[in-house]
Amino acid sequence: MDSQIRKIHHQLVNKEITCTDLVQERLDALKQNTNNTVNSLLDTSALDLAAKVDAKIANGDSIGLLEGIPFGIKDVYMVQGTYTTASSDLLKNYKSAYTATAIRKLLDAGAIPLVKENCDSFGHGSSSENTIFGAVKNAVNSNLVAGGSSGGSAVNVAKDYTVFSVGGDTGGSVRQPAGYNNVYGLKPTYGRISRFGLMAYASSTDCVGPIAKSIEDIRIVLNVMSGKDGKDQTTYASAEIPQNGILTSEDIKTVGYFKNFIETDAIDSQIKSDFLAAIEKIKAKGIQVKALDFFESETLVSTYYTLAMAETASNLSRLDGTNYGNRIEGDNLKDTYAVTRSENFSEETKRRIVGGNQLLSQGFSDEIYLKGLKLRDQISENFENDFKEVDIIISPVTPNTPPKIGESLKDPLAMYLSDAYTVGFSLGQLPTLTVPKGTATGLQITAAKNNDELVLKFANFLKDTI
Amino acid sequence: MSKIMTVDILSSIKGAQPSEAVNKLFEVIKNANTTNNNTFNHNHDHAVSLDHLRDDVVIDSPQIEKQIIIENFPKEKNGFLVVSKVIEE
Repeated sequence: MDSQIRKIHHQLVNKEITCTDLVQERLDALKQNTNNTVNSLLDTSALDLAAKVDAKIANGDSIGLLEGIPFGIKDVYMVQGTYTTASSDLLKNYKSAYTATAIRKLLDAGAIPLVKENCDSFGHGSSSENTIFGAVKNAVNSNLVAGGSSGGSAVNVAKDYTVFSVGGDTGGSVRQPAGYNNVYGLKPTYGRISRFGLMAYASSTDCVGPIAKSIEDIRIVLNVMSGKDGKDQTTYASAEIPQNGILTSEDIKTVGYFKNFIETDAIDSQIKSDFLAAIEKIKAKGIQVKALDFFESETLVSTYYTLAMAETASNLSRLDGTNYGNRIEGDNLKDTYAVTRSENFSEETKRRIVGGNQLLSQGFSDEIYLKGLKLRDQISENFENDFKEVDIIISPVTPNTPPKIGESLKDPLAMYLSDAYTVGFSLGQLPTLTVPKGTATGLQITAAKNNDELVLKFANFLKDTI
Repeated sequence: MSKIMTVDILSSIKGAQPSEAVNKLFEVIKNANTTNNNTFNHNHDHAVSLDHLRDDVVIDSPQIEKQIIIENFPKEKNGFLVVSKVIEE
């Protein structure tokens, strides 16, 4: 098993490397990197923690699997005492007062956070260009975007600056950059990992998601972060996924794919033929493959963005510079709110807030917002029916390869449409994993709700098949 | 109050206008076909049961948390945290 976490753990335990050297080496690499992945380095605390791990090992004490493993955190998670900017001007000097549950669990397991990672501001974007820290550059070709919104996290993993990173996925923000940078990225079932301490974008689809270079590392990190949390009442208790539980896939008999994702002019011809070739390889292994009907990409994208904008308009209304953030004084309180928000939000964030308030206002809410909710229910129902027919749904991650830096910002509608294959699974709250296999931007594996284990099983099967 | 609120007022963003790209998304929703069955609650099954409600207790924040919250406050004068002038209208 090609787990980086296990490999480093053995090296530490066998005293082949010291944790301090490991952390210092990764910090140096992060500091020197030219991909714009870093918003802030947590160097002092990381080296302190590394010294403690070394002392434990020198003392002959045993260490846990994640103890001393360096990781990265998308800059939308609260980590007490660290800058948490959401890559925005508004919060560029904001310090977290507390620590997110998912991160707290990793810290408790001994993992060492190195870096708060660059991303699209408040998660608003699919390219990691919408940030005050400079566009994140793709790990494979630095002229291309890293994808988004968790672009810095995916690039850090791809470049081995972090062993794993914790991204956030609302409509594809872990899966798409994972696909663009050839690494694994999981959006778990909604509610499996607590959102407490994750800056809210669209609360009904926001998910905490690990990015790593192997399925085993995804499994390890997922297990640690999962679980019911009194501070996020949408969480549920889930069983740990055992290591040997995902090695065989005999229980996967039928796989489906959405034919309208493939039979369209919007998909790159190479991605299409590679995807169909992958389907043939799956069939050759004796698995039945079914072509399924699904909603048009335009409907999926519009439903997702409509609901996400409504939610983000509400969630971001708290950002007015009163208690925190870069307040700019106006003539009076209302003017202060308006000037602060106008000057500190990016164009894309403003576009989404305005869209959200527009569709929630009288006269629009019935024909847009409520209809959007109804469409979402139909999409969920469609998935429920599909999973009576198939065990797994497989799809490309994106219709096209990563665009050049600068192209996405010119055409927001094109950027929204590039999320066509990821947003549906977000609306359905389904577990979906990007695997760096099959097409230039990978493949997505989706299972029914709460069936994250099956997703990892099929990923292992694909690893040996494609 | 029967004032018509424009999106710039609703959003507290000066000069904000509805965007063409976003309006195109809304048009798709307006023109989409929805079935008329009553399956409206599929995505809203995250309600907490009465047995699992959190205890109604006040939990005091640790000192470091309080300190950071104060540090984050945008303006301070003579030891007081200063808010903007409240509107009288």
